[in-house]
Amino acid sequence: MIEIDVRTQEMLEELRDLGARYIRDMGLEADRTAMPPPTEHPFYLICARQGGLVSRMVGEDEGPTALDWKPVRNFLLGEEAAYWDRGVALSLPGPGLGGPALRNTGTPEQRQRFLEIFTDHSKARWGAMAMTEPEAGSDVARIQTRARKDGDEWVLNGRKMFCSNSARAEWVVVWATIDPDLGRGGHRAFVVERGTPGFEILKVEHKMGSRGYETASFALDDVRLPGDNLLGGEAFYESRKGFKASMATFNMTRPLHTAHGVGMGRAAHDFAMDIVRSDYPAHGRRKDQALERLARIRRGLHTARLMYLNAVWLAKNGHDNVLEASYAKLYSPPMVLRAVTTALDICGEAGVRNDRMLEKLYRDVKILDIGEGTQQVQRLVVSRRLVDFPRDA
Amino acid sequence: MRDFALSPELEELQGAATRLATEELAPRVRESEAAGRWPDHVLDILDGFPLGDLDLSGDLGGAEAGLLAKVIMLEALAEADASGLYAADRPGPAAGAVTMCPDRDLAMTVLEDCRSRAATCAFTVVDPELAWPELAWGPGWPDLKWIWVSEADQLRLLEVTDTPTDVVALAFQASGGVGVAFESTVERGSWTLSPHQAIEVRARARLWGAAIMVGIGQAAIDETIEYTTDRVVFGKPVAHHQANAFDLAAAAAGVHGARLVVRDAAASFDRGEPHAAFWATQAWLESVDAAFDATNLGIQLLGGHGFIVDHLAEKRFREARHLAMAAGARDAADADVAAQVAEVDDLLGSLGSETGGVR
Repeated sequence: MIEIDVRTQEMLEELRDLGARYIRDMGLEADRTAMPPPTEHPFYLICARQGGLVSRMVGEDEGPTALDWKPVRNFLLGEEAAYWDRGVALSLPGPGLGGPALRNTGTPEQRQRFLEIFTDHSKARWGAMAMTEPEAGSDVARIQTRARKDGDEWVLNGRKMFCSNSARAEWVVVWATIDPDLGRGGHRAFVVERGTPGFEILKVEHKMGSRGYETASFALDDVRLPGDNLLGGEAFYESRKGFKASMATFNMTRPLHTAHGVGMGRAAHDFAMDIVRSDYPAHGRRKDQALERLARIRRGLHTARLMYLNAVWLAKNGHDNVLEASYAKLYSPPMVLRAVTTALDICGEAGVRNDRMLEKLYRDVKILDIGEGTQQVQRLVVSRRLVDFPRDA
Repeated sequence: MRDFALSPELEELQGAATRLATEELAPRVRESEAAGRWPDHVLDILDGFPLGDLDLSGDLGGAEAGLLAKVIMLEALAEADASGLYAADRPGPAAGAVTMCPDRDLAMTVLEDCRSRAATCAFTVVDPELAWPELAWGPGWPDLKWIWVSEADQLRLLEVTDTPTDVVALAFQASGGVGVAFESTVERGSWTLSPHQAIEVRARARLWGAAIMVGIGQAAIDETIEYTTDRVVFGKPVAHHQANAFDLAAAAAGVHGARLVVRDAAASFDRGEPHAAFWATQAWLESVDAAFDATNLGIQLLGGHGFIVDHLAEKRFREARHLAMAAGARDAADADVAAQVAEVDDLLGSLGSETGGVR
């Protein structure tokens, strides 16, 4: 088994306590009301005051502006948070998916400028990242949001959608193109701060599940940004570096998605295990069959966990992890969906009731196979690596 | 935190095994099958590693290199040719039985036969409800003298007293192949193990097979990629048709995952963790599926070429299935993990009831 150091174990225990006291209930409430928890929710303030989800991280060298962050530890914490409620976990204050983009792409000055705000513990703050557009979802190379240089400034125009936490974010990392004809070579990432004229939230989506965090669309109409808001600076974007930078972000977020899936699958497993312990006969065929099903869930979750840890470990050690990140993202969501459906099978007809958690999990997990590239996209990524699958096939 | 890198010693072992496999096994795969054995000079090299002793403890005269070393080596050899492994690796899948055998003198007797190539041993799992009184298939060389039988919590050692029957099996022809009716054996020992020990005996055998399935699965993926990127159908390489590429991607992901869980389970044994047997059986189940998917696709994407013996795709397809029926097959493995699943804590938290789950 994987070894967990004492410090990480302490963090996990604290998170478990927070999960039982706040996160799961917040997720259930958000599901009932179809609204994410309000920004002034006391739990968000707790997170802000202690400088993160887990107080023991305060003062550590992996603070949000540091390059030497601890991804393996953070991914385990991500898994545990998703165990309690992935939606709420995604809604927690902090740089969110914009964090990996800033760390992978930003200059030291930009990391300081945009991540420093999260060290002010007086209120909850959010960051976000926007890639998807009405006409460009999985095929991120087709983004149409335009970036035009005007003197020392950049001018952005376009629409973004399915952007997590963007309606409450202090800033959003926005991917745009300087010329769609350049394809991936034209990609640039900008930090758009809240209140910038022309930046307007259009809609907060109503979703089937995963309602613990907001998913919003926004418009960029002649949004003018200082040159310093170009992530990484102009020198960074040579050749295909821009697109590679966005892909580098995915090479960390895809394993994170997998970690979330493992957490959600564990929740389904534990719920079903409770049912087996309390409602099933002590011995006999029904019990044996249920335990075999539970063991099957454990197997898939264990494999997926090793896959995401392997992908993160590769990245942390400076190795190319494109293949392994996509392997993990390809494997995990269908497995987690099977885990939840298997748990529902164990639960029987009572599983459909929406005052019980499995019904919610069934609706929640489907997004795992869509966000950060569907399993079909992962198969494309893997195919390109394995058999040089042509981009125009 | 977990370190996925192999130690320099293990990398060296892996490299040496790969060289041996590439230079000595791969060029004569079909020849070995026809001969029913691997060449003596290859056996000399394997015994020198020493393949059979890698995962055995010092008190049994083993090399104490550990289970991770063993699975790394098996993976590498199986990528080139798995067919002779049942015979070449002695005691191979019976290493767990030898290790758990309370009668150390008897265990050493078996091991001495294995090491001197005077005789070999086989391992089988008997379902108490079915109780088929035979070893359906075991390695045919050196002469099969010992049969380890795992039946629920019982471990038995049978000595073969009559000449075994030659058996042609689904795969592993380079290991020979014999069958033995238990009535033509003499029981030399029978022990009641703890349930955990009994499961560990079976889990060690499964981990042995799982490592080989990973090697077979990886070889299938590699050959399929090589063939399908070269052969053109409907105007483009076979692999550049999306349906094929997608299936290949999923199969490759499966083999990648199986490799991770097999190595993790092996390392878990090496660290003496209490639930290593549970994870080893889980790794076997994962490998069964991954190896089947990869080898089945290996034939499918090669089309008619996959079905004929000019390619190794059909051989790997047979081998993957053969290993899936070993050590009691899937039903026994499912039963073993089901027996343990409620007691094995998850890495990040305890299971059920203590989670504060909302019903």
